[in-house]
Amino acid sequence: MQWVQLVVLGLLLGGVYAMMASGLTLLFGVMRVVNLAHAAFILLAAYLTYALFENVAMDPMISLVITMPLMFGLGVALYLILFPRLENSPRYVEMTVLLTFGLALIVEGMLTFVFTGIFRSVRPEYSSTAINLGEIFMPTSQFYASTISFGLLIVLWAILRFTKTGTAIRATMQNRSAAQIVGVNVRRVSAISFGIGMALAGAAGSLLSFMFPFFPARHWQWVALLLALIVLGGMGSIKGAVIGALLLAIASAFVTDLVGPTWSPITFYLTLFLILMLKPEGLFGAKVRL
Amino acid sequence: MALLEVDDVVAGYGAGPDILNGVTVTIEEGSSYCIVGPNGAGKSTLLRAIAGFLKPRAGEVRLDGVSMNGSRPDQMLAAGVCFVPQDASLFPGMSVKENLVMGGYLIEDRSLLQERLENVYEAFPVLAERKSQHAGTLSGGEQQMVTLGRALMIEPRMVMIDEPSLGLAPMIADQIFEKITGFKDLGITVVLVEQNAVKGLETVDWGFVLDLGSLEFDGPADGILADPRIRDLYLGKAMTPREGA
Repeated sequence: MQWVQLVVLGLLLGGVYAMMASGLTLLFGVMRVVNLAHAAFILLAAYLTYALFENVAMDPMISLVITMPLMFGLGVALYLILFPRLENSPRYVEMTVLLTFGLALIVEGMLTFVFTGIFRSVRPEYSSTAINLGEIFMPTSQFYASTISFGLLIVLWAILRFTKTGTAIRATMQNRSAAQIVGVNVRRVSAISFGIGMALAGAAGSLLSFMFPFFPARHWQWVALLLALIVLGGMGSIKGAVIGALLLAIASAFVTDLVGPTWSPITFYLTLFLILMLKPEGLFGAKVRL
Repeated sequence: MALLEVDDVVAGYGAGPDILNGVTVTIEEGSSYCIVGPNGAGKSTLLRAIAGFLKPRAGEVRLDGVSMNGSRPDQMLAAGVCFVPQDASLFPGMSVKENLVMGGYLIEDRSLLQERLENVYEAFPVLAERKSQHAGTLSGGEQQMVTLGRALMIEPRMVMIDEPSLGLAPMIADQIFEKITGFKDLGITVVLVEQNAVKGLETVDWGFVLDLGSLEFDGPADGILADPRIRDLYLGKAMTPREGA
């Protein structure tokens, strides 16, 4: 039953990866922006969670209530301040890459200044316990984190499916100019999407804070991994990001077990190369656009 | 009062040169118009400037005498000005019905939305047949039908259609022009941009001849069609009827 154990471990990590990747792919789908600062903002939320835990002993899962709205507001503000002036730039894609790269450096620099470069981690009681279901072993922290992540993904799905704003977001993802034609205020939709993506990054930061130790430059590693996930799923496809995240997390659990933990990160990058060579549009990406 | 006045409008894209060099046109409610002229004359740019996709660098677009400068596309649509661009502007992953419902995005009242949907199915029976098909799998002519049907959802005061016959077989194009005449019969003001100038001018009441970003001539459509000078100067080959047309 070893493989069941590996699939469970993969799904536990995959749930959190899926939530992080959804935020990133949502931004790409709506705005055609690859947010290189996505993982830096995840770390920002992780440090915020750390500060709340150390100073007022707030449980990291409770601090989601603070990090999510805060990051939503930060996302909307950053979008409205920084992006409208790039909208008509003939070098839009290049400019947004530079902009988000710059944002990542700024966040990393600020975190290093405030928290220094050493490893930090949040250690609530459940960070060192495990749940045993018969033969199956689950680290409690990962079980909590993935349960919350799947819950938030369902909320995201419901917002996109059943609200008017969600309909506008989906329409903008499919065809931005058509959305404008039918009366969608795409700037408002972009600002809200940026906010939602950042709120998911906030949630991810709070959850990661008690799953892994972190230091300010850690985000480069994370964002590379997230890019592999969303390229596999197809850029701009939330369904693809979720399925890609789960597949790769399970694959990496198997690689860890069969080859060794040092080889686990290469699962992501190897898949990235293979996808780019064999099926560049990813599993659920649009090959042709209308 | 005129429905829409374009007053000495100058416009262009990004940091690029002026495409419109001071265009002045007047659109009366209930009439239909066709803008003709050589490639690069600024026909599509004029429609985009009116629809709020492009901010005029100078001059003014007025609706019912009120300046609309600085209005976003969604605000222009809410004011009754609907734009149908030339690239098939559908949602490829949505069904025909979902595309039509998106056309009524600004309508809050659900029963009104349903009523409009029925009206569109009545005017475009082919869309009722295809309502659950994904828009991305339709033929070019059917896609154009969806964009026209979608424009009807909002029952605009004025609809601007860019190159409706582009890439369509003459027979299909004729069906599209028939639907456009239908808009006129509903009392909706129609402004066309059409490469096939003969067909376009035959469909409408009034013609605008645009060249190098300014209005060279305007008059009754049949007058323009009959005027050999305009044909030679501005319309060139576009005026030669296509085979079978």
